[in-house]
Amino acid sequence: MKAFIGIDIGSLATKIVLINEGKLVDHRTERSTYNFKKVGHNLFDDILVKNNLKRSEVYVMSTGYGRNTIDIADDRITEITAHAKGAQYFFPDAHSVIDIGGQDSKAILISKKTGNVVDFQMNDKCAAGTGRFLEVMAHALEVPINEFGDLALGSRKPASISSTCTVFAESEVISLFARGASKEDIAAGIHKSISRRVAGMAKRIGVAPKLIFCGGVAKNNAVKKYLVAELGFEIVSPEYPQLTGAIGAALIAQENNN
Amino acid sequence: MEDLELLSDFSSFLKEKKEEGKKIIGFISHDNIPEELFDAGGFIPLRLMFGGNDDLMTASHDFLPPSTCAFAQSCIGLFSLKPRSYKFLEFIDYFLVSNHCVSDICASEIISKYFNIPRLNFYISYTKTNNSLTYLKLELQDLKQNLESIMGSKIENEDLLNSIKKYNNFKKKLLEFNKLYVKGSEKLKIIQKALLFGPDFHPTLENIIQKYKENSNDFENTSKDVILTGCSIFINDYIIDLIEEGGANIVFYDTWIGNSYFSQIISDDLIEAEKDPLNLFVHRFNKNIYGDHSVPNFLENKIAQILDMYHQYKQKTGKKLAVINHIIKFCDHISIMSSFFKNKLQDQGIPVLNLERDYSKANKGQLSTRIEAFLEMI
Repeated sequence: MKAFIGIDIGSLATKIVLINEGKLVDHRTERSTYNFKKVGHNLFDDILVKNNLKRSEVYVMSTGYGRNTIDIADDRITEITAHAKGAQYFFPDAHSVIDIGGQDSKAILISKKTGNVVDFQMNDKCAAGTGRFLEVMAHALEVPINEFGDLALGSRKPASISSTCTVFAESEVISLFARGASKEDIAAGIHKSISRRVAGMAKRIGVAPKLIFCGGVAKNNAVKKYLVAELGFEIVSPEYPQLTGAIGAALIAQENNN
Repeated sequence: MEDLELLSDFSSFLKEKKEEGKKIIGFISHDNIPEELFDAGGFIPLRLMFGGNDDLMTASHDFLPPSTCAFAQSCIGLFSLKPRSYKFLEFIDYFLVSNHCVSDICASEIISKYFNIPRLNFYISYTKTNNSLTYLKLELQDLKQNLESIMGSKIENEDLLNSIKKYNNFKKKLLEFNKLYVKGSEKLKIIQKALLFGPDFHPTLENIIQKYKENSNDFENTSKDVILTGCSIFINDYIIDLIEEGGANIVFYDTWIGNSYFSQIISDDLIEAEKDPLNLFVHRFNKNIYGDHSVPNFLENKIAQILDMYHQYKQKTGKKLAVINHIIKFCDHISIMSSFFKNKLQDQGIPVLNLERDYSKANKGQLSTRIEAFLEMI
C-alpha cells in the first residue's frame, strides 16, 4: 500500500509530512532558504530513509508558494485547498480557516455539507498582514521573533499603530520609541495592527466558528488574542499549525488515489 | 511576452494613414467615444489599450501618485519612457480628454499637458435624463465643430452616416466571431486586434471567421469555462496566460475589449430614419446598458447580463460558468462595488473570483494561486 507525502513549500519554511491510512506518521520543517528545491529534496530523502520507504511506495502532493517548482511531486494543489483539508484533519467541524504565513495570509470558508472550499480571500502583494511584517517589526525592536508575542502580551496599554504598510509602520515604531512608549506597548500595537488587517480580510468572506487559525504565525499567542478580539468569537489552533497545508496536501493525494 | 509583430504592424498602419493625410486622435476612454465622427472627419482613432509593466508604472510616478489606477499609470508610462515598440505613439496629433472615470480624465490631462499633445475635450453625461441627453448632444456638436476646424472642411451628414454603418457592420461581424467556440486567448487576441485597427480589419476578420468555421472541431477544451468581467485585458498583458495555465478558458468577455464594445449597435431602421446623425450617438448612449460609466443601475445591468449569459450557456452546453472579476488596482468604479457584485452573483449560485492586481510581475505567483484555488473550488 502506498503512503502519502505532502510537501508545503512556503516562502519562509518548507514542511513535509508522511500520512499513512489517514494518520500523521512523520513530519519535518526546515527554513526554505533561497534554494527551496534543495531543501525540499533533502527533507524528502530524509523522511523516506527514516521510514524505510522507497520512492515508488509514496505518492507526493506539493503545495505552497513553490509547489510548481519541486520536481519530486506527482501532483500539486494550491495552499488554499490544502489548508482547508488540513484544518479538517485536526477539527472535522472546521467552518473557517485563517492562515498567516511568511509571505501571505488567507481566510478560507469551508462548506459544512461537503467540506470543500466555498470562498477565500488572500492579502495582496503587500507584506502587511503576514509573518514577514512581524519579522521586520521584531527586528526593529531588537526582539527575537519567537519571543515577540509574549512581549506583546505583557503590555498594559497597546500603542496605536495606524499604518498598514510595513515600511511606514517601522517609521511609526521609531517615533513611538522617541515619544517614550515601552517595548511591550509597541509590540502589542504591532500585533493588534496585523490582527485587525487579517480579521478585516476574513470578515469580508463571512468567517464564523469553528475557525481554525493555522500557519507559523498561529504559534504567536498575541496575534491569536487580538484576532479573537477583532473577530468577536473564539478561535482554535491545531497541535502543529504550520503543518496544516502539508497534511491537507497528503490527505488530498490519498483521496485522489483511492 | 510582447506581441512585437502586432505593434509593428500597427505602427506601419498608422504611418500609412498619416501619409494619406489622416490625423491621429489618441484616447484612453473606452466608453461612448464617437469613433465614427473621427472616421468621417478624416481622423484615425487610437485607443490606448496596452497592458502595463513595472517600468511603465514606475515611470508614471513622476506625474501622479502610485495610488492611481494602474492602467492610467501605465498609459502615462508609455509616453514617458517611449519604449521602442510603442514609437507609433509619436504619430498622435490630438489627445481626447474624456471622463470614462476620474483616472481617465487625470491621465489624459497629464498626457496632453506634459507630452505636448493638443487636447480635444469630450465629456459624457453620467445620467440619462432629458437634460443629460441634451448636454451630450451639445458636446457632440462641439467636438464635431472642433474636428471640422482642424481639417478645414465640414463633416457631411452622409459621410457620418456611412461611417456609422461601417462601424455597425464591423461590430456585427465581431458579434458573429464572438459566438464561435474558440480558445479564450485566441479570441482575445483577435478582438484586441480588431479594436486596434478598427473597420480596416473587417476583411481579415471575415477570413478568420471562415477559417474557424471550417475547422470548428479543432478546439478540444479540457479547461473550466469562465466569464471575464470587470477591467479589460489589454494587449500584452500576462494575465490571460495565468488564467489559462491555471486551467480556465474564457468563453465570454464582458468587458470593453469584448461584448461591451461590439454590442453597441445602432439599428438600421433608426439610421435610415434619423436626419441628424449626431442623434444616433445620443440614442446609442441612452440605450447602452453596459456602460460602467453610467449611473444609476450599471451594476444591476451587469449582474443581469451575466445571469442571462450563465443561464443561456448552461442551457446550450449543460456546463456551469464561473466568473472572474478582473480588477485593476485603484480602478475605483470596479473595485469599490466588487464585494457587492460578488455576493449578488454568489447568492444565485455563481462562483466569483475578485482578482485584484496591478501590472507588477512580483505578484504573479500569488495571482496564480488565487486563480488555481478558485478553479479547484469550482
